[in-house]
Parts: sequence; structure tokens; C-alpha cells
Amino acid sequence: MSTAITKKVERPPFWRDLRVLRVLIQVLSLAVIGAILYVLWFNLTTNMRAIGIRADFDFLTQPVGVSVTGSDIGAGSAVWRALLVGVQNTFALVVVGIPLLTIIGVLVGVARLSSNWLVSKAATIYVETLRNIPPLLIILFAFFVGVLPLPDILEPARILDLAIITNRFIAVTGFSAAEGFEIFGWIMLVALVAAIFVWRWRTRVFVQTGEPHHRVLWSTGLLLSVAVIAYLALQGPFELSKPVLAGRALSGGFSGLGGYFAMLVALVLYTASHVAEIVRGSILAVPRGQSEAANALALSGFQRLRYVVLPQSLRIAIPPTINQYLNFVKNTSLGIAVGYAEVTLIAFQAIGNGRPAPQMILLLMGAYLVFSLTISAVVNVLNRRLQLVGRT
Amino acid sequence: MSDREVIEREADPVAVGRPVHIRLGARAWAKKNLFSTWYDALLTLTLGSLFVAFGWTLIRFLFTSDFAILRVNLALLMVGGFPRDQLWRPVVALILVSILLGLMAGIGSASARDTAEQTGLPYQRSSPMAVLKRFWPVLAFVVVVLMLTETLTPWLVAGAALVAGVGSFPLGRGLPAGVRRFGLVILTIIIAAVYLVLVSGGVGWDGWGGLHLNLFLTVAGLLLAFPLGLLLALGRRSTLPALRAMSVTYIEFIRGVPLITLLLMGIFVIGFFLPTGFRPGNVTRVLIAITLFESAYIAEVVRGGLQSVPGGQVEAAQALGLAPWKTMRRIVLPQALRNTIPAMVGQFISLFKDTTLVVIVGMIDILGASQSANAQGAFLAQGLHRVTLPFVALAFWVGSYVMSREARRLEHKLGVGVR
Amino acid sequence: MKRIKLLALISALILVMTACTTAGDGDETTTTAADGGGEDNGNGDTGGATLAEVESRGTLNCGVNDAVPGFGFRDPDGNFSGFDVDFCKALAVAVLGDAEAVNYVALNAQQRFTALQSGEVDVLIRNTTWTASRDGGEAATFATTTFYDGQGMMVRADSGFASIEDMADTTVCSLTGTTTEQNVTDRFGSIPFELLTFDDNEVLQESFVAGQCDGWTSDKSQLAGVRTNFPDSEGGPDALTVLDETFSKEPLGPVTRDGDTQWSQIVDWVVIALIQAEEFGIESGNVDSFDSSEDVNIRRLLGLEIEDDDGNTVVFDPGIGIDPGWPSAMITAVGNYGEIYERNVGPATPLGLERGPNSLWTDGGLLYAPPYR
Repeated sequence: MSTAITKKVERPPFWRDLRVLRVLIQVLSLAVIGAILYVLWFNLTTNMRAIGIRADFDFLTQPVGVSVTGSDIGAGSAVWRALLVGVQNTFALVVVGIPLLTIIGVLVGVARLSSNWLVSKAATIYVETLRNIPPLLIILFAFFVGVLPLPDILEPARILDLAIITNRFIAVTGFSAAEGFEIFGWIMLVALVAAIFVWRWRTRVFVQTGEPHHRVLWSTGLLLSVAVIAYLALQGPFELSKPVLAGRALSGGFSGLGGYFAMLVALVLYTASHVAEIVRGSILAVPRGQSEAANALALSGFQRLRYVVLPQSLRIAIPPTINQYLNFVKNTSLGIAVGYAEVTLIAFQAIGNGRPAPQMILLLMGAYLVFSLTISAVVNVLNRRLQLVGRT
Repeated sequence: MSDREVIEREADPVAVGRPVHIRLGARAWAKKNLFSTWYDALLTLTLGSLFVAFGWTLIRFLFTSDFAILRVNLALLMVGGFPRDQLWRPVVALILVSILLGLMAGIGSASARDTAEQTGLPYQRSSPMAVLKRFWPVLAFVVVVLMLTETLTPWLVAGAALVAGVGSFPLGRGLPAGVRRFGLVILTIIIAAVYLVLVSGGVGWDGWGGLHLNLFLTVAGLLLAFPLGLLLALGRRSTLPALRAMSVTYIEFIRGVPLITLLLMGIFVIGFFLPTGFRPGNVTRVLIAITLFESAYIAEVVRGGLQSVPGGQVEAAQALGLAPWKTMRRIVLPQALRNTIPAMVGQFISLFKDTTLVVIVGMIDILGASQSANAQGAFLAQGLHRVTLPFVALAFWVGSYVMSREARRLEHKLGVGVR
Repeated sequence: MKRIKLLALISALILVMTACTTAGDGDETTTTAADGGGEDNGNGDTGGATLAEVESRGTLNCGVNDAVPGFGFRDPDGNFSGFDVDFCKALAVAVLGDAEAVNYVALNAQQRFTALQSGEVDVLIRNTTWTASRDGGEAATFATTTFYDGQGMMVRADSGFASIEDMADTTVCSLTGTTTEQNVTDRFGSIPFELLTFDDNEVLQESFVAGQCDGWTSDKSQLAGVRTNFPDSEGGPDALTVLDETFSKEPLGPVTRDGDTQWSQIVDWVVIALIQAEEFGIESGNVDSFDSSEDVNIRRLLGLEIEDDDGNTVVFDPGIGIDPGWPSAMITAVGNYGEIYERNVGPATPLGLERGPNSLWTDGGLLYAPPYR
């Protein structure tokens, strides 16, 4: 005979039961937010229909009707093309600005801790002044005081034959693609990948045998030799192109608009001042014992920085620096104030010329989100590799 | 006298082993700090000449520029289009704000004194000289503005504000402890009074401009964004996946987007979201956009504060049998919010600087006023941006610099981040 | 616990007091929009709400420009003057009897329509061009055109440009998001040029003066104003030329919200009455001299008594909602259309604009007033 023992599980009444409550709260909050969103959506579509604005994205293929500075967008080009040009212009700012501001920020941050009184004071004044001023003011100042006073296009300033400086653009000698440039590009891409492999190989050799790795020499040597061989083999896939000014028309060379340089200089200086603060803070956060030990080992100041302090400070500095990069990207939207045709100005122009505002602004936000998420992702990869493994 | 190091050492056996105080003569100091190595000397010389050139340009600028544009447009820069016959309202508001600051400083000082008495820790009153050293940029700015005025009234106003502020300090200090505990209530009452004084004449928000508008957008934006930000931070830390997902989406979306896009959304699109027939004015729209924007950043700041509260506190609360909501309200939030104060001040500064963006959507804040001034017939095309932009920059610099120094001081005093 | 309760109580009291005070303040924009706006998205007709509100408020909120000399300009003391400003005054006299009972709200190009839609301003008299998309898309109703303008191009006198065809490869500046961009792109067509757009007129001016653009395109009336104020250090007004060519039609006039027919009609007839007054020769100085006029049309316009055959006297009231006799008060206060034009933008002013299409139809222009009867 077996006796079955049944145990009754005591459950609290459902209005006190945590499991029920958890689900209930989530359902309720979802319902409330859902209701609010529904009301907003309903209002949006009703109002748009009442005024006659269409709620789709067809406008993207319509002709944009205005021309865009510095590009070949004309009245007949589609709206999405104009937006793409805007994105390219923003990208041009970001891709040049972020490395520049990192370099300047690190230099100034280190300079602030210099033993030379004048250097540290100069760095302090720079940081404390620019950090506390709105970026829009710096941009306007750079435009009014830096760009507009440059020479007029009819009497440009020339540097020998190689550069032309006016208040509309600054053009420098560049190169233009000739026959075989594409092949050259592909070859260089392959060479770059090979160089990365060479780098890692040399590092591995160093780790295993202790031989000096000379990895920089190996990789750059590889790149340079491939470049020279390819150049000779393809018989000059690119040639030097000097900027030529015929009246008001510019041809050749690489040029950037006045507004671009105003934005670049202003935003790089502004963001670099923030980065300098971050770098300074991160250097100060490295335990003093490290610097004292480095001094005990008779490392020079520069060696102490390069081999002991900076690598450790990097770990601390990277998350706030990502934030500053994102701020830089977001601040490029101020180009609208100086007529630089980045994506916000194009969107603003389109809205003013009758394109539906809600969709346009949504696309604009989407563009910035893509930029932000990309930069965060890329720098976070670096960040994760530098994290301390083990106890936090 | 060649370089001589003057070494002072106390003739005290106990002093051996204490750090040596070395005072260097001028030449020795220069040699150590400026010319220690050859590249150091090179740096010093190049920077030194840059400094001199810069200083000379600055002096020339100050003495040869024509400040008439600032003199003539001072009211426009400060209060925008506020009706000139109602200017007594901002004046009264300014005096009320000085009284508020004086009272708060007094209350803080009295609390510090009481805490010192209770705990036996040393307590020092800051001397007026020290206060002056802390706030010299503000005084300098006030002096600059006063020097640009053309009538006597602003001097009287400044004097009245100063007297009111300094006078309410002992008043705040002298308040009995029971009344002092309601500091927040006093703050609310005075802020409400300021607001009422400004709007009761029928000049609603939408008519404000100049520096006044920037300050209003900053304060109102932060006040309105705070509750929403708090909710978002709590939601983000919640264990309920739905709440967490919604909070994270909102925060990351807003943080990835520039403020200008939200301002554009505010001006062009918010009207569509509201029920038909309800169409707010321009400043209201901008304020809504700023609130939405700031709430995400405040959520992050509060989240940092929440994370800074040691886990042991929550565990102790649970051991005492406190329900989750009670622990949050009585144990975690008070400590967390105290820890966020320096970061909040940082957010205040950053919002203050961001309010200049409203010029792009056409509002006449102080930057917009300086643009308008430059377009007036008498000042057009004379490159007077060289004069107005530095003035506007000075206004912002003073505010940001003083507040960031105060934030750092607060951080130090509160011992944030120090275990 | 007690302390927190007390705190909550006091805070609540304060909030309630604040809410009561601001709610009772009828001039607050939000409450204005709530009770004055009604269904103003184009579907509902609030019929009379704006007029009642303006009368109860006692001031007219007029959206104007503050930086366009001759049309809407604010001097450093804060006083507004200009062609559009005078029409605001005329409307104020017509509705409220007082030319000074106007609250001028300076608006820029981006916010002008939202300010109108939200009720922040009752009427927008700000160099606004009447186009189909604005009628449809901005919930706006355009009144009779007060100024027939066109888009033009301004260049430096020493540049040697005489027409658009001369301007290949030049850089042209305009404002972002306005119809000027589209018009100038269309006009240049296949001629290569660079279009530089700014969102702020002041930055644009600096750019033009510095030589970053060779041409500035905008409404000819605005260009005239800029030219007037060009500083002597840069060569004065003679250093600039406005090209003869006009490449778009820009009929400028007052704008009201959709959905309030009575108010829109009042604004319409204010403009028409001013034009009609010029046609009759009634000026601000001689209104009284028409008291004994035999012309029935003039008597109707001025709200004078008309004797019919039975000997009864009647005063003509078209029923648009304001007391008859408003035209004579208005003309006395601001003058007729011609006087407004001459005072602000006429040949004797620094702007020096000829009447051109802005003359009466009897002089070959486009101003044709529907009969006031």
C-alpha cells in the first residue's frame, strides 16, 4: 500500500502575487503607451489628410527643383539624390574631422599636464575658453572672421601653382583618375589586407621569439612597394591635377567649400577641447605609482607617457571619447547656419519647398542614427578589446 | 643676484623627513618651468610670441572697436522684443532671483554650520574674498553690461539686485531649522512668483527673447524634462522587459539624433500630432522639443546616479522588510539624486549652450538678436560680428565657466565617486 | 511623513494658484489657441471668432517682418514702420478704432505660418507670396494683394553683369527653403551656376558683401531695401544694381487663417477700401471735405448718410461685422493706398520704387477695387 502525500502549494491571492503583477504591469504600461501612440498617429494622419499632405515616401523620386552647391544636383535630380549628396557632405566632415580632433585633443590634453608653465597655461586657456562656448558661435565666428575675409574669387591668393585660396573654396593639388585607376584601387585594397596580415604575423613572431618586430616598417614597406610596382605596371593610373581657375570656374585638384572649412575648423577645435579634458582626466586617473615606477626606471618623460601612462589611460578615456565623436557628428547639423550643404540643410530646403515635413524629418533622424550607431559600434569594438578581464 | 635657491627649513628635529619647501627666485623658476631643455625653450619662444601677438590683437580690438552696436541694442540682446513699457517685470524677476540665490546660500551655510556642530567636524565660513574669487566672471560680465548702458537705471537695478542678494544671505542663515527644512518649498514659491511676474501682464512665453529666452528655455526645459527623465531611468533599470525595451529605445533614439532635428520636428510636425484646433505657439513647440531631448540625457544621468548607490543598501532594505517601492523612494532615490547633482549641473550647462540653436528655427534669442543688430541700417556690412559675437560668447562663457566650477566644487564636497 | 505631507500640500496649493492665474489670463497663447482657434484646420468655420477675440482683447496681433526696410522694419527703439506695418495700423483702426492698438510680432520665414495657424497672430502681413500650395498646405487664406512684386537679382555694379545669361559659373545666394531657390534654379536652366543658401538673411548679407556670392536673389522689394541701406564704406547704394529682369510673379498680401470667413473678408475690404479711396481721391487730409459730396459711391464708402427719395437717411452697412464709418477713420489715420505707398516705398523714399504694376487700373496698373456697395 502506498500513501501519496499531496502537498498543497500556498499561492497568494492574484492581486498580491508577484508573478501576476509583473505581467499585469507590463501589459498595462504597454496598453497605455500604445494608446498614446495610437492617438498621436491618428492625429497625425488626420491632420495631414485634412491639409492635403501625403503620408508616403513618393516624394523621394520627385525632382528636387533646386540646385545644390558644390555638386551636380540640378533642378531635375530626384530628392533622394539630393539627400545622398547631403549625407556625403556630412561624411566628408566626419571622416576628416574625427581623426584631426583626436590628434589635437590628445596633444592638448597632454600639453595641459606639461612641466612647461607656458605650454600648460596656453592649453588651459584654450580648453577653458572653447569648452564653455556654444559650438554655433564658434562656427559663425570661424565663418565671419576666418572664411569671409579670404580673397575674392577674382583676385585669389595662390601658393605657387599648387593651391588656390578664395572665400568660396580652397583648392589644392590632387590627383585625378586616369586609365587603370580602378585596377590600381583593387590592388591597393588587396595590399592593405596583406599588410594587416603581415602586421599580425610580425607581432606573433615578436611574442614567440622576442625578436624586434619592426611591424610598422614591414607593413608600410609592403604597401609602398606594391604601390610603386602597380603604378609602374599600369603606366600611371593617376596623374597630378592642379587646380585651375578660369574666371569663376574651377577645374581640377581637390577643393573644399568655404563653409566646409569653417565648419571643420570650428567643430574640430570645439570637440578637441572636450577631448583634451577627457584625456587629462584619464591620465590623472592612472595610479601615481605607475609614473613613479617609470621614473625609477629612468624612462624619459616622453617614454613614460608613451609606454606606461597613455596605454593605461586609454581604457578610461574611450567611452567618454565615443560620446564626443557622436557630439561631433551631431554638431555637423549646424552647417545650415553657414550654408554648407550637409544633410540637414538639404532636408530643410526640401521642407521649405513643399516636401512633406514628417517624412523628411524622419529620414533626417534616421541618417543621423545610422552615423551614430556606426561610430559607436566601431569604437566599442576597440573598447571591448581594451577592457580589463577579471574582477571589476 | 644670480640664481639662488632659497631653501627654508625649519630648525626642528621633527621637521627632518617632512617635505622640503623650496622657493625659487624668478630666474630659477623661469629656467625650470620654461627653458629646461632646448625643445622646451623653443616651445616657450614660439608660444610666447603667439601669446604676445594674440594679446596685442585683443588690446587693439578692445580699444579701437566701435561698441555702439552693443550700446544701442542692449535691450534687444537682453530681453528681445519684450514690450519696453513692461521692462519692470524682468527687473523684478531679476531681484527675486537674487533674493532666491541669497536665501539658498544662507540656508546652505546654516545647514553646513549645524552639521559641523553636530558631527564635530571643522567648519569654515567662506570669506567674502573667497566668494568674489569664485564668482568673478559673473561680476565682470555685469560690469561689462553696465558699461554699455546709456542710462542710469541699469546701475540702479544692478545695485538693487546686489543688495537684495547680499541682504537675503543673513536672512536665510538666520531662519530657524524648522523653516529651513522647507527650502525646496521656498524655492518653488519664489520660482512660481518669478514666472507669474513675467507673464501676468499678458506677455506670454511666445513674446520673450534675448538672453532672457535662453535662460527661460534652459530652466523650464530642465524642470519639465526631469520627471520624464526620472521615469525613463527607472524604466531602463526595471526588470520588466517591456518597460526596459521601451525606455532603452526612446533613450538611444533621442541620444543619437541632433537637437536641431528635434527643433525642426517641433516647429513643423508637432502641430500634426496634437488634436485638431490645438496649435501651440513657437516657444511652446521649441520647449516641447527641448523637453523630449533633455529627458533622454537626464535619464542617463539619473541612471548613473542609481548605479552609484551601493548594492548593499538595497540588500539591507530588503533585510529590513521594506517593499521595493519603499526602498526606491526612501533609500535609493535620495542617495542617487544627491549623487547626480554635479552631472545635472553639467547637463544644465550643456542645455544652456544648446539653446542658441533656436536661432536656426527663427527665434530671437541672444544670438538672433545679435544677428538682427548686425542687419540694422546703421551697422550693416561693417563686419561688426567681430564685436557682437564675442559679447554673446562672453555671456555664455561666464555662465558655463562659473557653473562648471561650482559643479566641480560640489562634487568635491559631496564626495561623489570617492568611497 | 507629516513633513512630506505638508510639502505636498503647499506645492499643490502653489500649482493650483499658478494654474488659476495663468488660466484667467486671456492673453496666454495656449488658452488663446484653445478658445479662439476652434476647428481651424480648414474643415470647420469658426465664423467670427477672431473678430470677437480681437475686440475683447483690445489689441491686434499682427505678424510682420522686422528687418526689411520699407516693408517691416524695427528700429533700435523697438518701433515698427513700413508698408506692411501701415496695413496693420489700418486694420487696427478699422476694427478697434485705434492705430496704435497693434502688437507687432516679428516673424521669420520659417515660423510665419505656424504662428498664424497657432493663433499667435491674428493676421500675417509680411511680404508673403500667394501661391496655390500655401492656400492648400498652410491652412492660409490670402487677402487682396497689396504689392505686386517679382523676384530679381542684385549684383555689384562693377561686375558688368547685365542679364542672367552673363552670369555663367557665378555663385548666387538666396534663403534656404523659400520659393526663390526654385525660381532661380528654373531661370538659370542649363547655365551652370552655384546656389549658396543660408537660413538667415544677416549671414547672407555678410556673405554677399564679402564677395562669396556674385548675385543675391530675392523679391525686388527686399533687394531695393537692402540696396538703400548699403553702407557707404562699401560704396553706398550705387555700388549695387538690381537687374531689370523679373523672373517670377510674387503677389504679396495679408494672410489670415482658414476657417474664419468673416475675419478674412474684413481684412480683404480694408485693403480694397484703401485702394478705392485713392481712386476717389480721398486722402488723409481731405476726408472731411467729402462730407457734402454728391457721389453716392463716396458717401457709401465713407459711411455718410444717404438720402433716398422719401427723405429718409440711411448709412450704408455692408454687414461685414464692423461699424460703418470705419473707412473714413482708417483713411484719416493712415491715408489711402497711394499715401501708404509714397510714404514707405515710393520714388521719394530711399527705396525709390516706381508704382509700376502697383498703380490703379485707371493708370494702367493692377489695382482694381471691387465696388463698395
